Amino acid sequence: MTDFHSGRPFQPIPSQLQQGGQATAALNAAPGYRPAVADGHDEVYEAGGAVRPHWRYLLEGLAALGPEVLAERERKARRILRDDGATYNVSSEPLASRIWELDLVPQLIESEEWSHIEAGLIERAELLDLVLKDIYGGRELIRHGIVPPELVYSHPGFLRQCQGIRVPGEHHLILYAADMVRAADGAMCIIGDRAQAPSGVGYALENRTVMSRVLPSLFRDSHVHRLSGFFHQLRQKLMALAPGDAIPQVAVLTPGSYSETYFEHAFLANYLGYPLVQGGDLTVRGGRVWMKSLEGLRRIDIILRRVDDFFCDPVELRGDSQLGVPGLLEVVRAGRVVIANPLGAGFVENPALFKYLPAIGKFFFGREPRIRTVETFWCGDEADRARVLAELPQLVIKPAFRRYGQHSVFGSDLGAAELALWRRRIQDAPLDYVAQRYQVSSRMPALERGALTPRPMVLRSFAVANPTSYTVMPGGLTRIGRASDTRVVTNLTGSNSKDTWVLASEPEKQLSLRRESTPTGAPSERGVLPSRVVENLFWMGRYAERGEAALRLLRTLFLQLNGVEPLSDGARRVLLGAVTRVTHTLPGFTVADAPFATPERELKTVVLDAASPGSVVGSLRAMLQAGEEVKELLSADTQRVLNDLRDELEALAEQLGTEQLVAPEEALDPLVTSLLALAGLRHESMFRGMNWHFWELGRGIEKALQLAALLRATLVPDLAENDIPVVVESVLLTCETLITYRRRYRAEPDILHGLELLVLDETNPRALLYQVQRLGGHIAALPAVESGPGLSRAGRLALEALTALHLSRPEELAALAGEAGRAALDQLLSRLETLLIATADMLAECYFDHRAAQQQLIAADWGYGQ
Amino acid sequence: MIYRVRHVTRYRYERLVTLCHNQAHLLPRDTRNQRCLDSSIQVTPAPVTAMEERDYFGNRVYRFSVETPHRELEVSVLSQVEVDLDRNGTPVLDLGATCAEARERLWREGDENHLQAREFLLDSPMIKTGAALRDYAAPLFADSRPLLSAVRELTSRIFGDFAYDPEFTTVATPLEEVLENRRGVCQDFAHLAVGCLRALGFPARYVSGYVETQPAPGQTRLVGADASHAWFAVYAPGEGWVEFDPTNDNMPGAQHITTAWGRDYSDVTPLRGVIFDGGDCQEMTVGVDVERV
Repeated sequence: MTDFHSGRPFQPIPSQLQQGGQATAALNAAPGYRPAVADGHDEVYEAGGAVRPHWRYLLEGLAALGPEVLAERERKARRILRDDGATYNVSSEPLASRIWELDLVPQLIESEEWSHIEAGLIERAELLDLVLKDIYGGRELIRHGIVPPELVYSHPGFLRQCQGIRVPGEHHLILYAADMVRAADGAMCIIGDRAQAPSGVGYALENRTVMSRVLPSLFRDSHVHRLSGFFHQLRQKLMALAPGDAIPQVAVLTPGSYSETYFEHAFLANYLGYPLVQGGDLTVRGGRVWMKSLEGLRRIDIILRRVDDFFCDPVELRGDSQLGVPGLLEVVRAGRVVIANPLGAGFVENPALFKYLPAIGKFFFGREPRIRTVETFWCGDEADRARVLAELPQLVIKPAFRRYGQHSVFGSDLGAAELALWRRRIQDAPLDYVAQRYQVSSRMPALERGALTPRPMVLRSFAVANPTSYTVMPGGLTRIGRASDTRVVTNLTGSNSKDTWVLASEPEKQLSLRRESTPTGAPSERGVLPSRVVENLFWMGRYAERGEAALRLLRTLFLQLNGVEPLSDGARRVLLGAVTRVTHTLPGFTVADAPFATPERELKTVVLDAASPGSVVGSLRAMLQAGEEVKELLSADTQRVLNDLRDELEALAEQLGTEQLVAPEEALDPLVTSLLALAGLRHESMFRGMNWHFWELGRGIEKALQLAALLRATLVPDLAENDIPVVVESVLLTCETLITYRRRYRAEPDILHGLELLVLDETNPRALLYQVQRLGGHIAALPAVESGPGLSRAGRLALEALTALHLSRPEELAALAGEAGRAALDQLLSRLETLLIATADMLAECYFDHRAAQQQLIAADWGYGQ
Repeated sequence: MIYRVRHVTRYRYERLVTLCHNQAHLLPRDTRNQRCLDSSIQVTPAPVTAMEERDYFGNRVYRFSVETPHRELEVSVLSQVEVDLDRNGTPVLDLGATCAEARERLWREGDENHLQAREFLLDSPMIKTGAALRDYAAPLFADSRPLLSAVRELTSRIFGDFAYDPEFTTVATPLEEVLENRRGVCQDFAHLAVGCLRALGFPARYVSGYVETQPAPGQTRLVGADASHAWFAVYAPGEGWVEFDPTNDNMPGAQHITTAWGRDYSDVTPLRGVIFDGGDCQEMTVGVDVERV
């Protein structure tokens, strides 16, 4: 089309121009879209009302697709995002996370403009890197009076503990992000810097992946600059930070699934091929950082940090932090681990620096930085403060130090009383506040119910250090406001995102991480997981089985309660009592005055009461939470099943209704189906590694425990002769064994044959013997933790359980022993329960991290020694 | 004057501690009038890693990790420190800059020392200034009065107004409570004075160290012996940092040995760290001996 190097703007070919006219018409016809905004720039329209050339092709393409197709593509995009588990956590409740939102109209930036933006960002990153090195080094900026001492000394992000930390290579600021808006005259203007642990690169990549799938031809023909080069550079840079010669081991440090951007942490770790760890997965020993894995301690050389720096080491930084690694900072000082971004980097986010950047630029470079920055006043400066106090209604107030939950305040929103309050706040702590001139952002089209409507936008761009300078991601994360006049566009206040296309004038060569020849670690080191991960898989398996067992029993109950033949009082009591015992929702139906005649309300509680750990919702939520902790290991298919489960759980309360229960068993069916799908998927697609063994151990142990509890509650008691068939039938039905029973015995269910099928049948996957038999094999496959020959302790316990089963005879188990009912059966089941629980405990002791409780050394009392 | 300082800290835990990472500000630094001739630190059980470094303020900081499971941790420091007799020179309190001049010079002159001292004007983790502190000290700091003479009087005033009461405060007691109840220990008095001075616009810092346990015949035994001690220093443009001890109502002389200084206690906590396990109970004992050699 055009020559990229000539820098001439993109010229659409004539046919596109013609169709472009149609697109324009379509756009103009879109209700609510006002192309020219009175108070700013429009990304699509020139001041005269003509569509900017680089937008024509896209608009034409979108118009050609038509509203129905676009709506279908939107649904597809949402589905992909949901299946990928792309979320943004809006609260501290991880399961309440919101699906990441992507608008299908990308932001378009032409090459020529982009090269200016890129140059400006590189320069700014270089400058902030020099600031970072200076404030933790010689503090020449203070010595030479370039910045007032208070700007640095009063800022909580200035961590004195980080004085003198060295980072290998040219730069200390490894990853940098800038938030930009386009001013009325069309120039990009920086409104915020991110240097602590910039988020968004993963979301940008996810947006790109989705866009290329839902609008493949538009994407392909638009010649969009690829993002993979940026990630390639990120990985190269991380490798280059390695302290030694050996192939460095990198880990991504996350605060955990409660973090708002947890999806991105898992996504990045996966994409880059590094383990995702939490503070507790790491330990400092012998002057190095190690990851606690099943195979023992694994050295970590480089940490890509997504935890804010002041939380990273309770020995020297915030003492009450549970997110960090005690002793980390000292390893950093010794150069035995490198953290990106380095601890202390949060300081350069200080918006008060904006005011001094021209002077800082002159000091370091001999010239002012080129990229525009929003006009900023720092209340620590006397003249600025006076001005801010006078002009407050026209300004945006920002804290100098970004804290969770603190947002910008718009002076124009404040009434007289609030203005007075803010003036007092500023006067009381002037150093803590900056004020910025409100920068109207440009508008761009977004799809809103099939129509293009104008939305304000903010672009977050990313830069990563390379050996000599910075590599800027060609593109970035564009966010748009909810309404055309939304002023704050941050994720937390509910914005929508867009892919950002930097339009190349010719196709680029392909470069993807997957093609790299450099191995990401020695083969033996690859795939090593923190032991927390296998622990979560183990529990995920257990909770899934626990939920399934409860669901199946409840389903049977609902069927029998509403069956044609009324249940006798005795059978009713036994089966309802079993619900309570199996789900541990005591007292329930175990007390004499329980509502046996009208059990619906209590049964509903057993399903829905999230506060009760044994309820269906309780178990399945715990399962989803464990799944969230190992998100990075779950395939898209698995994620899809978990998403379904989550939705079904949410719908459950409504389905069960508030009134009389109508065919309640049907409301439970989808959950059972999803759990089976999950088990099937794991079975079909999980590698038979440690993950698999722990998942299977969790499932097997729990399945056996649930069955033992069910049998104890139903078949041990001395049932009335008439009740035996219906109780055994219910147990068989719950265990999916009724059909086999009928086929095999062609008789009314009785206890002896029931026990043969459910306890001692080697071929029935729902029998105790079958499950217990398989435990030994999984345990034998685990890494040895005890020296010496023979079985491990867990292996011995599992064998003991198996032997107890093998030595049982069905006739003895079925035999009654007076008042106690079937005493031999009770003994066997109770013995099995004890052994299985001991096996699980032993596995936990040998393989899971019992993170010793971390606590602070008590501080010396004043006046000690007196 | 040469002193031998022995400082032993012992922790006892209810259960075994499996791992600990600690940081000690226990080794005396060199100052304008003090030289640490020799010092050694002994940790039992033996640490697996240990390193002495300089912290941000130039203090000596010793960081160590113990991986041997233990129920008891002992950190024992032995130092020999030479202190000049004329530690503060012969400070002429009634000459020098007035309060108004001191403030004005601090902000007008671009002197590098002034710029750096301004760090000690700001609130710090344990010292938040406010009207109460300012009002307490303001009457002493008339614009025309020489700064150091006013600070000396503040030192006396705190000594007179406040009761020394080790039972009353802990490290966590807020400054307002100390001010309200008029009681505390040396660390509280040092924080209080620092807070007052900062509230009035004079840079001040917290100093930790020791005083002589057994004074020479004829000299009084100072309060704060047998333990870590704390006092403060004020920055006077022209004179630099000058020290005062509100617990003993004097100016630290040859009987005071400096360990470290910072914005407040939290910068120079003698021992801080994180332990793993150890149960719910910890107990700490400290013993200090300061003798002339």
